Amino acid sequence: METILDNEQFVKRAFWLVKLRWITAFLLIGIAYVISKLFDSASLEIPLYVIGAVLLAYNFLLYLILRCLVRLHDIPLGRAINRIIILQITADLLILTGVIYYSGGVENPFFFYYIFHVIISSMLLSRRMSYLQATLAVFLFGLLLTLEYFKIIRHRPIAGFLDVNLFQNTYYVLGVFVVFSTTLYLVVYMTTSIVLQLRKQQDRYKLLNLELNKKDRIKNEYLLSVSHDIKSHMAVIKSCLDILSTHMAGPLNEKQSELVERADRRAFKSIAFLSTLLKLTRMRLTGKIERERFSLKQCIYNAFAAIEEKAEFKAISVTYEIYVKKDTVFGSPLLIEETLRNLLINAVKYTPENGTVSLYVTEDNTFFTIQITDTGIGIPSDEKDKIFDEFYRAENARKVEKDGTGLGLSISREVVQRHGGAIWVSSHEGTGSTFSFTLPKYKNA
Amino acid sequence: MANQKILIVDDDPDITYTMQMILESHGYQVDSAVNSTTAKSRMEQEKPDLIILDVMMDTMHEGFDFDRELKHHPEYKDIPVLMLTAVKERFGLDFKPEAGNQEWLPVEEFLDKPVKPTVLLEKVEKLLGN
Repeated sequence: METILDNEQFVKRAFWLVKLRWITAFLLIGIAYVISKLFDSASLEIPLYVIGAVLLAYNFLLYLILRCLVRLHDIPLGRAINRIIILQITADLLILTGVIYYSGGVENPFFFYYIFHVIISSMLLSRRMSYLQATLAVFLFGLLLTLEYFKIIRHRPIAGFLDVNLFQNTYYVLGVFVVFSTTLYLVVYMTTSIVLQLRKQQDRYKLLNLELNKKDRIKNEYLLSVSHDIKSHMAVIKSCLDILSTHMAGPLNEKQSELVERADRRAFKSIAFLSTLLKLTRMRLTGKIERERFSLKQCIYNAFAAIEEKAEFKAISVTYEIYVKKDTVFGSPLLIEETLRNLLINAVKYTPENGTVSLYVTEDNTFFTIQITDTGIGIPSDEKDKIFDEFYRAENARKVEKDGTGLGLSISREVVQRHGGAIWVSSHEGTGSTFSFTLPKYKNA
Repeated sequence: MANQKILIVDDDPDITYTMQMILESHGYQVDSAVNSTTAKSRMEQEKPDLIILDVMMDTMHEGFDFDRELKHHPEYKDIPVLMLTAVKERFGLDFKPEAGNQEWLPVEEFLDKPVKPTVLLEKVEKLLGN
């Protein structure tokens, strides 16, 4: 298809046309009323009201058809909508011709409104179809002028608007027709040229985006094999250290023990880091998660159990309030629990002693919203956008906690997005942060 | 529990070495093989009571293939298999704990590398019924 619009945009445009037509129909009826009062022209009023009513009825029908089409997702929507748009514009041209006829023909300056239809078709349809629509407009208008000129149909002037009978003035009619038709074709030419240029640009962006995705994939695959390789070495190192520290290879003296313990701690941390990185990268690469139905409440209870001890140690009060009736989510309970745990652990980690951490769950028609609020150190406002990026750690967070992978929030975001939700943060440095995320509710069909 | 025989099948000599050390220090008799072919010949000489099996060796799924072969072997089908893997991160196969009960991969237990000595011993003891 020779347009810049994709399927979804097409549907939107079709509905947009319907909306415009509602306005047009009411305007038409309104203007007919005003003109009939101004010029005392009853012959004009009735036909225009009829046309307005036809327009309203046809628009309503169109609206229903579009609604039906959108609901039937399995048919090739773009093509059907394209045809409907062609039909709409054709019908609109016919109706406009009717309106012009009943309101003075060539003497009605509104005839230039054909230009709107031509612009709309140039934006939405192919260049060829736009020229065809322009030709139809020229033909209809030309036909009207000719039939009136030769008195084959009755001229219906707006009484009192013009004193001269322009519709029989050869030069005037010819002049109007020539200017009118050239204008329409030029409009098609100009509009479609701009549209085509935009489309080319869009194609270029699409191509560039594809290339970027490919490069990102290569990067991820590279990251995956490198971190997997390092992790397998680290696993062996860790195993050796485990044997030493559990004295299975014989007793160690105090200094040796301490050295082994230090090495063991670092090995553990780097393995934990590599595991998280692998998990994140894998999720990015496959884009898949194993899904099942599960209880959000249960995930929250489990996540709370994991942080209770730490919170108690710092005398931080942790509470949760869950305001939902049904709590079923379709997704990975393990990943969601991990996300909750991540956020809760962060909250406890960055909240000073005697603070509070609270979790709220609310719902609307389609989403659960989970909010975790703490009275911690907060996030500097210029860093709020970056904390979900890989390896990024806010400056004040690094001061409080030297170690940290900078991957926790990236993986949380990835998990939430994979579930069709969103995650965000609001925070004031020094007073606390609120992390919120949404999860789509499971709708039992 | 003394003299119970464990066969470790893994192509990483360092993994084999460390596990052997852990298990031997707890009185198990440990033998090792670097791939399934060697494993078979070792088993013909002496039937093990437990097999610890790595997933990736010469091929990405040699461990899986060998395991299936064992479970269809009249003499070996009752030997419990403890599967070791770091493959989960690499290929995104998500093994569930109950995966061992499924027909496609009949193993008794999975462990992720690196294996903690205490966890390894615990699983081995459980599988050997000690």
